[in-house]
Amino acid sequence: MDVDDLIFQGADYHYKGELDKAIAKFQAAVRIERQNEYAHNQLGILYAKKERFDAAFREFQKVAQIDGHNTYALLWLGILYLKQGNLNQGFEKFQRIIEIDPNNADAYYFLGAIYNFRHNTAKAIKYLKKARDADSDESDTHYRLAQAFHNLDMTANALLEYQRTLALKPSHTKAINGIGWLYYNRGERDAAIAEWKKTLKMNPRDRDAIFNLAKAYNDFAWEAMKRNKPKEAISYWKKTLGVDPKNKAAVHYLKKYKA
Amino acid sequence: MDRRHFLRWIGKGILGTSGYWLCARGVAWGKSAFEYALEGQNLIAAKRFAEARDVLKEAVRLDPKSDWAHGLLGRAYYGLGQKAEAVAAFREAVRINSADTYSRMMIEIITQKPIRRLKKPVRPLTPLEKKARAEEEAMLSQLTPEGGLAYQVKRVVIDPGHGGFDSGAVGPTGLKEKDVTLDLAQSVKRKISEKGRIKCFLTRTGDYYIPLSDRTVIANQYQADLFVSIHINANENRKAHGCETYYCSEKASSKEAAMVAAFENAVLKYDEPFKKRPGYIDIEEILFNFERRLYWEESGKFARTFQNRFEQALPFKSRGVHSANFFVLRRAKMPSILLETGFISNHDEEAALKKASIRDEIVAAVIRGLLNGRG
Repeated sequence: MDVDDLIFQGADYHYKGELDKAIAKFQAAVRIERQNEYAHNQLGILYAKKERFDAAFREFQKVAQIDGHNTYALLWLGILYLKQGNLNQGFEKFQRIIEIDPNNADAYYFLGAIYNFRHNTAKAIKYLKKARDADSDESDTHYRLAQAFHNLDMTANALLEYQRTLALKPSHTKAINGIGWLYYNRGERDAAIAEWKKTLKMNPRDRDAIFNLAKAYNDFAWEAMKRNKPKEAISYWKKTLGVDPKNKAAVHYLKKYKA
Repeated sequence: MDRRHFLRWIGKGILGTSGYWLCARGVAWGKSAFEYALEGQNLIAAKRFAEARDVLKEAVRLDPKSDWAHGLLGRAYYGLGQKAEAVAAFREAVRINSADTYSRMMIEIITQKPIRRLKKPVRPLTPLEKKARAEEEAMLSQLTPEGGLAYQVKRVVIDPGHGGFDSGAVGPTGLKEKDVTLDLAQSVKRKISEKGRIKCFLTRTGDYYIPLSDRTVIANQYQADLFVSIHINANENRKAHGCETYYCSEKASSKEAAMVAAFENAVLKYDEPFKKRPGYIDIEEILFNFERRLYWEESGKFARTFQNRFEQALPFKSRGVHSANFFVLRRAKMPSILLETGFISNHDEEAALKKASIRDEIVAAVIRGLLNGRG
């Protein structure tokens, strides 16, 4: 069979989720054409999907040896290094990609994410902005950029990027929860509560939203107590238990002040 | 890849998989989108790519929803060596029809290597975008993106252990853990704020109880870089003494540490089993696990740094650094450590913890750990 036919069939099986059949086609393709970068890259992805990460790594390495400018293979090598927990090797691959392709949004994204993990926020922003400007259609790029701005208290930018995240992926609950904190920290408490409730509507088991709401209601309860309004405090602790029924503080103080 | 034969696919029924055939609106006097697309297809087969591009542009103008026409346009651009335009056209075809295998494959083949970026149309800024831009200009001018991959700490949350009805451990003469931890935490905040390099937040500022879940929520609320929980140890054996530091890791460093973590973890059971999607690589999950591993490693480094400061500065024996899989520390989205600054159950150390001078030494050691430890 012609190598192009094998590749097309392999791609078709891959997109349909028939991974083993796709692997067989691409393996046949590389037997005919050993230097076929696309077939090796597809094998890499397919092995990774089958959780055969060592085999995936070898395929991407083959591509990088055939052509060191195949940025797709370099990107996946970087990702697999991160999967192994190897920060420096992963970082090096992403750096190499942007040397080859200064517009590679994916490499900028991973570099920005790494700087975010190191809490080097200024550098995270620098790289994530480049990722965003190269490809503005990735919700996670906007989300990570929002986090970086949030870390610097740049609330307008954080809000804008959270909103952009949600415009691309309305179910991005982490972005909704982040907006909640932006509102909460600037005193717009009702708006914050509304955001976390929005998350719970999408996923009633979202632990961040549950704990955020519980924390907020407990805060309100204590403020009411300080104002000598125990009834109001009790109503808030009840709300805490409504979202987090085992919340130790609410259980205790309700028992104490109801009595 | 050898792409010698890609055009041959055009005649191999591939068009059948992506075929979309809808006549254009308003075709009474001119050619329909379908007719333009058909003409474009024939021109591609004849390798007359420039002419094919022009008629296919007309086809997609007349029928922007035709994945077939967009796919053909991609082929025409590709034949002309205009890869960026080809990818844009193939992407449009896939956006309209996700089952268009050929266009998907072509995008993947072309984007394996760098391609030129197409210019995006500029649109006016929204009010929030204007505000964000002004904020960015004001803020980022003060920030120079420096430093390598060393972990940086600019915001820290200090957590005074226990509080309210939960006194924590109580010493032989009645000294309460919750009071000592609050006093230490408040002093740390006051003194670190004077230095101005690190922003400090407390999980509680008075004698009230905060559940464990709220404590890490506060750290996440402020996007802290480090979470430090302050505790005072206790033991039934009143001879036990010294200070130690805990951090979160996958494996407990000792049976005792494992038991402590198991006890803590039993309090909260919200973990849902991870739902794996077969045949799918979740990049964000890879990043999440990588991030968590980095934070655990970093927590270990911070724990050792703080313990070293205690060893150097405090008149307490060093009991070393321990690790365990604490659920509560695990929920913090940053490195987190738990300090046990002496044994309140020990007569001598309880007496020491009552002294302002010893508390000052503990505070100074914590501040040195924060300022000079890492980053």
